[in-house]
Amino acid sequence: MSGNMSGQPTPKTFQLVQSTVINHQRICREHYRLTVSCYNFANARPGQFVQLSPEMNPQTDVGESCQPDSAQSGTDCEASLSTPALPFLPRAFSIGGLRRNGSTCEIDIIYRVVGVATEWMATLRLGQCISLLGPLGQAFPIIQEKPRAFLVGGGVGIPPLLWLAEALTNAGITTTAMIGSTTKELLPLQHEGNPAPYEDAREARLSSTEFARANTPAIISTDDGSFGFKGNVVEAFKSHVSANASESSRAVVYTCGPERMMQGVAVFCAANDFECYVCMERSMACGVGTCQSCVVTVRSEGPGDWRYALCCTEGPIFENSQIIWD
Amino acid sequence: MSDATDSCLPDLRVNLGGLALSNPVITASGTSGYGPEYAPLFDINLLGGFVTKSVTLHERPGNPQPRTCETASGMLNAIGLANVGLERFCVEKIPFLSQLSIPTIVNVAGHEVSDYVKVCERLDEIECIAAVELNVSCPNVSDGLEWGTDAKRLASLVREVRQVVSRCKLIVKLTPNTGDIVELARGAIDGGAEILSLINTLRGMAIHVDSRKPMLANVTGGLSGPAIKPVALCMVHQVYQGCTRHNGIPIIAMGGIRTWRDAIEFHLAGATAVAVGTSLFVDPRSPLALIDGMRAYLKRHGLMSIQDVIGKVQLPEK
Ligand SMILES: Cc1cc2nc3c(=O)[nH]c(=O)nc-3n(C[C@H](O)[C@H](O)[C@H](O)COP(=O)(O)OP(=O)(O)OC[C@H]3O[C@@H](n4cnc5c(N)ncnc54)[C@H](O)[C@@H]3O)c2cc1C
Ligand SMILES: Cc1cc2nc3c(=O)[nH]c(=O)nc-3n(C[C@H](O)[C@H](O)[C@H](O)COP(=O)(O)O)c2cc1C
Ligand code: FES
Repeated sequence: MSGNMSGQPTPKTFQLVQSTVINHQRICREHYRLTVSCYNFANARPGQFVQLSPEMNPQTDVGESCQPDSAQSGTDCEASLSTPALPFLPRAFSIGGLRRNGSTCEIDIIYRVVGVATEWMATLRLGQCISLLGPLGQAFPIIQEKPRAFLVGGGVGIPPLLWLAEALTNAGITTTAMIGSTTKELLPLQHEGNPAPYEDAREARLSSTEFARANTPAIISTDDGSFGFKGNVVEAFKSHVSANASESSRAVVYTCGPERMMQGVAVFCAANDFECYVCMERSMACGVGTCQSCVVTVRSEGPGDWRYALCCTEGPIFENSQIIWD
Repeated sequence: MSDATDSCLPDLRVNLGGLALSNPVITASGTSGYGPEYAPLFDINLLGGFVTKSVTLHERPGNPQPRTCETASGMLNAIGLANVGLERFCVEKIPFLSQLSIPTIVNVAGHEVSDYVKVCERLDEIECIAAVELNVSCPNVSDGLEWGTDAKRLASLVREVRQVVSRCKLIVKLTPNTGDIVELARGAIDGGAEILSLINTLRGMAIHVDSRKPMLANVTGGLSGPAIKPVALCMVHQVYQGCTRHNGIPIIAMGGIRTWRDAIEFHLAGATAVAVGTSLFVDPRSPLALIDGMRAYLKRHGLMSIQDVIGKVQLPEK
């Protein structure tokens, strides 16, 4: 059933779909990768997100049922035996990867356990059904005219960049990822070996299994130097692009992570003429533009030269120069 | 689509103070935007009516973020009446609303009597708008107190608006942040309200324990969702028993409605229509499940019409 006003079919920009957990793994101390499978998920692109909730009731269209009977045992995730408290509102998660096979769609969500919703997610078992609302929001634009891309991600900002790396590489754009966390234990990625700390961030290597799969060399940084470049990811990024003297006019920078980190990247990009896109995070309720929860302050032509944009519909991806940072 | 044509299906039609609704389920202001937002998920025309976000005379950016936070079985919001303002509403939002086949109700807010009067006067001229609903939970300019917390002041506000609203039905939405909601209901009706809606959000607060700062930038906000349902139900009960049962003014009930059972409770307490707000965020299609569930309930109880439920709570004999 689609929304239908005076016979005009409304394009299915997003939907409520039922999905089945087909893989669930702990990646590091606090991060998990959840893979769900669903039918007829609308067209989606990197940067877009889904809303997850234990309470949504999709009453799905034909062909969207999931099969709880196919539940398999032996999940990698450590399900808590006690009943977890359930979140009331849905939570937003970036699409960390998406694969289609006919009308079936597999979606990866990489999350860090920080509160009631993510604690509930950590208890999900293979075969369990969950509802997804999505795809929501705007995607990262892929600029075909620019042959070079840099991804700068921190913590739970890394997942959307994984899928983006794949899309950029497929589009023939040479991509390098700069990924950071406070310490090795909190890197939401698998990595090859345990290299000695890099002297500097000049050389990117196929050091992250996930980014390597997307043919994207990466520079990993940790604040405490327990893995890769010692320092924060913004320093790694600055050091890398300065050392490689890449012409800023030919490259696009995409960043996602803690706001202060993105601001550091954004300020550097503005000063050095890099086109740059940021992925903003806001506390959300509806995810579709009705509740007005999720405002981001952006520049405006109108009176007062600023306005509030909704992160869920106008974002979460914004062009760097639009944002007025706090 | 008429229920009456199928003899097996109980009749969900209600007469809401002259507005013919095909079923009693409508949206609550501020939780479903201006209409198109949920269109990809379901056909709004399946609802009994649609209520817009509050419209003010001038566009308002609203409060700084964070504007909302989750609480036990509910949420706090301090949106600050962010809305496009009357002019943009007419130009940008009316075209969609004018295509709806169900009654459209426009919620109106303001800080001065003249704000309400100017907005309502203009809306009354727009054919596709069936009713205006006054949000009187906002502070007025003179003393910062909510319009809707004093029965006399509320009556005088409604009276002024009444002068300019002739074609549209006039709904007054009561605030629960008050001592005696029945007094307020009487005030609104004295002023000329034809329909009452209740309740708006309950004032509340949450604090982040690590930063020790309030969770909302505005410090306090309005609590909504299942957490407030018993309070809302009690207020609908009080207003119905103490006021509207005698004068026939219909009630639109809202406050934590999530399932058909919640809706039936409000009908039993005296509501003619029920509005779904916060639950839309949890499950955007819950209004449709509500309609199905209400129908099944009537069938199970051998009732032909939702009219057989309204106000039919069995109270102990005094
Ligand atoms: C577009 C978008 C994409 C996102 N993508 C991802 C993603 O890919 N992966 C991911 O992991 N996350 C992602 N997020 C973030 C995720 O939605 C939030 O972290 C979400 O709130 C987690 O829900 P929760 O219930 O587990 O935590 P919540 O309960 O919402 O808590 C969030 C934080 O607030 C703290 N907190 C809450 N209440 C209090 C209190 N009273 N006192 C002190 N502290 C408190 C918690 O401890 C926690 O640190 C995304 C967000 C957006 C907007
Ligand atoms: C995010 C949000 C925004 C709201 N905005 C308005 C508004 O603009 N005008 C209004 O009269 N009520 C507004 N309300 C109140 C609702 O219409 C409703 O009265 C209240 O939330 C109780 O119902 P519920 O528990 O079903 O949400 C808002 C509520 C929420 C949660
Ligand atoms: S989350 Fe509701 S408007 Fe953005």
